[in-house]
Amino acid sequence: MKIHDQINEKLKDEVLYKNLKNFATAYKASKENAYKGLDFESLRTRVHDLKDRDLNKVMQQFNQFRENVEKHGCKVFQAKTGEDACKYIADVMKKHNAKYMVKSKSMTSEEILLNHYLEKEGLQPIETDLGEWILQLANEHPSHMVMPAIHKTRQQVAKIFADYTGEEVDPDDIKAMVEIARRFLRDSYFKSGVGMTGANVAVASTGTIGLVTNEGNARLSSTVPPVHIVLVGYEKLCDDFNQALDIVRVLPKSATGQTITSYTTWIKGRTPSYKNEEGIKETHYVFLDNGRLAFFEHPKFKEALKCVRCGSCANICPAYEMVGGHVYGDRYIGSIGLILTALYQGDEAAKDILKMCIGCRACSFNCPSGIDLQTLISDLKLVVGKKYGINPIKKKVFKNLVAKPDRMKSVLSMGANFQFPLTKTCKTNDEKIIGTVPMLPKEMDFRKFPALASKTFSKRFYKDGFDQFTSDRKVFFYPGCAVEYFYPEMGLAMVKLLQKSGIQVDIPKKAACCGIPAIASGDPDNAKTMIYNTIDNLQEPKDYEALLVLCPTCGGAIKHEFLDFTKEDPNRYKKASMLGDMVTPIGKFLEENNIKFKVKGNKKVTYHTPCHDSRSLGYSAESFLSNLIGKQFVPLTDSNVCCGFGGTYSLDFASISNGILNKKIENIQASQAELLVTDCPGCVMQINGGLMHKKVPVKVLHLTEFIENYLEII
Amino acid sequence: MNDLERFIEKSELVGSENLVLSNDEFSMLLKKERFDYVDVPSFNLKKDVRAGEEGIGTALVEVDYGIAETGTVVLDSCEENKRLATCLAEKLLVVMPLSKLVSTLNHVADFLEERTSDKGGYVAFITGASRTADIERVLTVGVHGPKEMTVYILNDL
Repeated sequence: MKIHDQINEKLKDEVLYKNLKNFATAYKASKENAYKGLDFESLRTRVHDLKDRDLNKVMQQFNQFRENVEKHGCKVFQAKTGEDACKYIADVMKKHNAKYMVKSKSMTSEEILLNHYLEKEGLQPIETDLGEWILQLANEHPSHMVMPAIHKTRQQVAKIFADYTGEEVDPDDIKAMVEIARRFLRDSYFKSGVGMTGANVAVASTGTIGLVTNEGNARLSSTVPPVHIVLVGYEKLCDDFNQALDIVRVLPKSATGQTITSYTTWIKGRTPSYKNEEGIKETHYVFLDNGRLAFFEHPKFKEALKCVRCGSCANICPAYEMVGGHVYGDRYIGSIGLILTALYQGDEAAKDILKMCIGCRACSFNCPSGIDLQTLISDLKLVVGKKYGINPIKKKVFKNLVAKPDRMKSVLSMGANFQFPLTKTCKTNDEKIIGTVPMLPKEMDFRKFPALASKTFSKRFYKDGFDQFTSDRKVFFYPGCAVEYFYPEMGLAMVKLLQKSGIQVDIPKKAACCGIPAIASGDPDNAKTMIYNTIDNLQEPKDYEALLVLCPTCGGAIKHEFLDFTKEDPNRYKKASMLGDMVTPIGKFLEENNIKFKVKGNKKVTYHTPCHDSRSLGYSAESFLSNLIGKQFVPLTDSNVCCGFGGTYSLDFASISNGILNKKIENIQASQAELLVTDCPGCVMQINGGLMHKKVPVKVLHLTEFIENYLEII
Repeated sequence: MNDLERFIEKSELVGSENLVLSNDEFSMLLKKERFDYVDVPSFNLKKDVRAGEEGIGTALVEVDYGIAETGTVVLDSCEENKRLATCLAEKLLVVMPLSKLVSTLNHVADFLEERTSDKGGYVAFITGASRTADIERVLTVGVHGPKEMTVYILNDL
């Protein structure tokens, strides 16, 4: 099935929608509670650092682990591929004439499709984790790494259990269903010749594995059968118990918001086993490469090997929340799933799913191993975009229009002059919009599009003489395409405000795109041209106090992506580095310069935090705004969750974008605010467009426009 | 908040019952209750049984450590019958000497190192009953192991 068909199928699944939405809300609260009193940043830095190693180091850990278990007669097998691992495990079962093998949950076994292999060999793996068992009976694969059956309802589970057991199952009684699992799975431990577990950590100093579970099935799987097989990726190795415990501290908190799971079990090699003829357990360790080891030497992708498999990158991902893990990922799920699919299964398997990342960066800030997941996805998008090509229309637009500032200016000016047959005034807020976009596919018709401004920001800046104002205090303003062509009034409001405070504002010689649309679409060549254009059109940074932006996405690009794209050009790199240091969102600049305001009017105001303000520029104007307007401010639930815009994402994946936007609008309506303030023109385009489409009479303003209309400098 | 208060807070959070007792009070309690499996070396109590597929009713074991940070008890259960009993009992009761309560997870790192350095080792951190939330995220206890847990915290030991 094509990716868009898969997405549409999932978007129609109301059960999935409800389950994931409820989970996303509950998870945030319990995670916050679990980490209460702890410094998340320092904990995740510790995990990140202890997992920061090259191939040499990880092989040292492996050799130490191996020595510690082999000296007691355990077997260690190094599986080069998934198939090697499957064959070894099947051979152990065959050697012991074991028809059954009880398994506790192992994502690594999902990675190598172990059950499939064993069943082909006539062997019977039995999943004992409740969620995995449900899916095994239903012949499905997990849609979440920690809660594999999150997409199922109790009624669906009851049906699966009734079919399997031949008993009547009350479709509402979850407790009774859990009892069924207890009853039916209990005998499987005792009839299985082999028990298999994964490992959350593998401690080199002793050769001990650590298992983090809630159900107690891993304890039984590793205790009752006479043979124990441990399937583990090399990346789970750590030096000693202090490191292992640092991982155990964050894993359950990030996974399910639990302080710790019911069981954390530390198992070393050959424990007593009455079912084994020798009275002692036979233990096998299967260390899986399957493409991992090469990436320990990769400057960027080695980061992905720091993952502790908590699944939290899915828990907070707005796109995952819409489509679930059967689409958003492959064998692994969530942001890390997109990445590991590319690394382990190859870029062909990942090229479509990578595009589903909206780029909000929530995962990067949520990862308990400190992996900058979104940047890795962005890098991989560029790789697959270059290799497999991108949407040809987009490519043409980037190459022939956006990457050529003069042509962009003349084409869009022409557009502004000739759009009048299409434009109309929106009744709810008197804004000029495109009434009906010709030939717009139905799924894209979920928001109103703003009309192009009749005059660009730059044109009005010069025409109205704002360039004549001079002062010793000077800032530089990069308007970006949205302010330049759609929302000049946001920029002009800022210029007026600063000039009132005695600050001179200069603008680029020529408007050029920051490159983000091309980067997000996986088009590195045109992105580079756009970035070079922008750098060359920005004045020398040394003359200015700050480089101000009203679009945090542009600001984030200047701060981060510009450095990546200028590595081969020392002059531009140097300029990019200086510019990056100066990038300042307007709210922060006003706060830092202690510019004082008094409030006009008494409207209730709420605030949406743009993704790239909080997560690329490290700033949110929320407290600035709430301090300014006091009681008029009402907080917005999930203020810092993406609005679903993501630039061209909102066209490429319109239905996901629309779904994310709907949740934002629900929260806005629940806040009962009359005004929504934000400080990103992209968020304004999306949220305002959605509100107008739904005829919700909440006015959306950029922070600068809000200040112009509702505050006064004192 | 001291370690004991923190331990109890975290332990209660996962639904365990916590009782702080003197040795005498605990001895009285022992007289009243019957357990299917017992291993409490501090009171020289041992009742050995091998739990099978049908499970057992109750297991009473003395633990090696308690961890305040997470409300966890630490149990070396390399001995197979102890492992089976604590995995398969309907109700798990543990005896935790107050002197064995430590503040953080990392305080038991050396213990884990020592107990799993040799041929075989099996140390369990136990924090509450066996639980699952795999159906609609509804928390349900007793999916594979104990359905209830009680911690006797002995303040004389």
